[in-house]
Amino acid sequence: MSSITLTSSDGVDISVERTTAERSVLIKNMLEDLGDSGEAIPIPNVNEAVLKKVIECDDDDNRRKTTDIDEWDQKFMQVDQEMLFEIILAANYLDIKALLDVGCKTVANMIKGKSPEEIRKTFNIQNDFTPEEEDQIRRENEWAEDR
Amino acid sequence: MSKRCRDQCDPDLPQKRTRTRDDIGPVDRLSGLSNELLLHILSFLPVSSLNVCQRLSHRFHALGGDSEIWKRQYYSQWVRPRARRLASSRRTTLPAKADYSPKVATWFDHGHLAQEGNWKQQYRLRHNWSKGLCRVTEVEFPQPPCPPTLIRFCAGVVFAADSAHGLRAWTTRDPACCLAKIHLSAPLEPSPTIPTALAVSQVQDKIEISVGLENGHFSLFILNLQTSQLDFQSSHLGCSDASITAMALSSPYLMVVSQHKDLTLYNLRPGSHRAEETEASEPCQVASLKADNIVAPMTLSLRVSSFEIVASIVYSFFHIGCGWSLGIQELRLGKDGQQLESRLATTVDSQYGLRPLQSRKRRHSAAECNRPPIDPGAPSIIHQQPPTSMSYSHPYLLTSHADNTLTMYLVVSTSERLFVQGGRRLWGHTSSVSAVQVTNRGKAVSVSSRGDEIRIWELEMAISSLSSRNFFEENGVQLNAGNKDGESEPEPGLGTIYEHLGSVKVEQDSTLPIGFDEERVLLLREKTGTQLLECYDFT
Repeated sequence: MSSITLTSSDGVDISVERTTAERSVLIKNMLEDLGDSGEAIPIPNVNEAVLKKVIECDDDDNRRKTTDIDEWDQKFMQVDQEMLFEIILAANYLDIKALLDVGCKTVANMIKGKSPEEIRKTFNIQNDFTPEEEDQIRRENEWAEDR
Repeated sequence: MSKRCRDQCDPDLPQKRTRTRDDIGPVDRLSGLSNELLLHILSFLPVSSLNVCQRLSHRFHALGGDSEIWKRQYYSQWVRPRARRLASSRRTTLPAKADYSPKVATWFDHGHLAQEGNWKQQYRLRHNWSKGLCRVTEVEFPQPPCPPTLIRFCAGVVFAADSAHGLRAWTTRDPACCLAKIHLSAPLEPSPTIPTALAVSQVQDKIEISVGLENGHFSLFILNLQTSQLDFQSSHLGCSDASITAMALSSPYLMVVSQHKDLTLYNLRPGSHRAEETEASEPCQVASLKADNIVAPMTLSLRVSSFEIVASIVYSFFHIGCGWSLGIQELRLGKDGQQLESRLATTVDSQYGLRPLQSRKRRHSAAECNRPPIDPGAPSIIHQQPPTSMSYSHPYLLTSHADNTLTMYLVVSTSERLFVQGGRRLWGHTSSVSAVQVTNRGKAVSVSSRGDEIRIWELEMAISSLSSRNFFEENGVQLNAGNKDGESEPEPGLGTIYEHLGSVKVEQDSTLPIGFDEERVLLLREKTGTQLLECYDFT
């Protein structure tokens, strides 16, 4: 099994198996275009810590067909918020759909079941509504409240 | 990665970013994501959370209302379950995974919605129907009209006809102001005329209205939906001077039944080149029925296809042993008025034969398999009293009864034969059901007179349960008037009654005091001498 080298944005070379790297559509396309020259592939948007985490991500795509996040993913995603969003951005950039879905589901789970105030606190979202606007939107959306 | 560039505008080295940020204060990393990524996150959220997200900020308000997300939600909530039901009832194999696809072809009769813009609105409408949530507005008839008042509802416009005020039209969007008003009879006729039947039909941006009168005449009117102009078209004498009891209009064909049980079918616009002429009507009597045992209530239905006209008369009669039953006379006529076929079917077989499946299944499971499945001596559905009202919209035939139930039949009309399938009682009302109305999409609304309730039914589900093993506990949805400042504590499945409906009076003719379309239910009721038009708005 051949392995290739990726260079992170902070200049660290990381060696990975080719099959693992090819889960990223971006890298796969690059490899196809460039041919296997053995040179390190630069990943300018992802730093070392995130890249290592992304590589660590489990390979089995079949597990992720359900909407729920399974145990492995949950454990994998037990990272701080900064890392979580870095992973999402990296997955998006590297075009790894399974990982992107897991990341987005993790964020969705952080939103689910919370009140707007709790969500704002969780993510530090700035409330740019006037009280009147907020009240109006609250009334508009009352119909779908969980009972 | 353009969004990240904004984060990275920090002159520090990228890996030092977090340190400096933490000094500044907490960072909104979620809003740092691109719209595309945020939408991806939102697509994993349930409807209730989507609504909560809309309250976060202006940006989230826009993203959480994204039409594509709501389209997906609509699909998984309403379209896919329905596709599964259809698959099981018709025993056909749909694509194994009926996955969401924006293609209209996979939307199973919901394709008409695909053209409309706001999917959140559509979802909400559907949601409110399913939960029975609506706003109620009442409109009092300006002057107490001389009964009988006839009410019809078409394309968002309510039509009412009575002898004192003629034909009046309201739009349901603004029920307080009268859209148009016109005298019933031809301007020259001096005598007040009493309307006895009313039928409406939409043709593009116009609504054709036909009013049957007590003196055997019928008048035709046209309402232009754009200009709200209501115009008198023409007046004709029916086949006899007997009072007209029922009418069905499916433009350009009009079916009239008079008190003498004469049925007449007219083509209102013979020859399309004369379509705009006011006096184009040339009554061509194509069929005449005489039957003395037809007792009200009865209902008419007219279906026009490209090559034939199908006129159906549903009537009730008393069958010894089976109680009150329904008969369906179906006339198939060519476009030129030539009678192709006349067929008759009754619900008697269905009342005897098809005992509702679920009761048998239950007994089987209770290890009583030895019991003969059907006892031919006693029909499963017996009505000792005539139905209080009936509504037929092919293929659904629904009758309401004084014994708190509705009975649903499925009319099967093929080129070979006509028969009635699957008689089934619908339970849920807690008092005598006085009126029922059904559409061909299987949505039905029923009103009970003393129980003060309106129920909404989705018949398609009940139909499919006739042939599949699953038994749906179909109780209908009770209306839940949302604008009564309700601190609602609905029981599961049923809404709370806010509304005291009073008594709904049903005239002995076939005109029902209820009507509904995709968005609203309208109900005419009488309260201490005044007549009120109630609009239950589900938007």
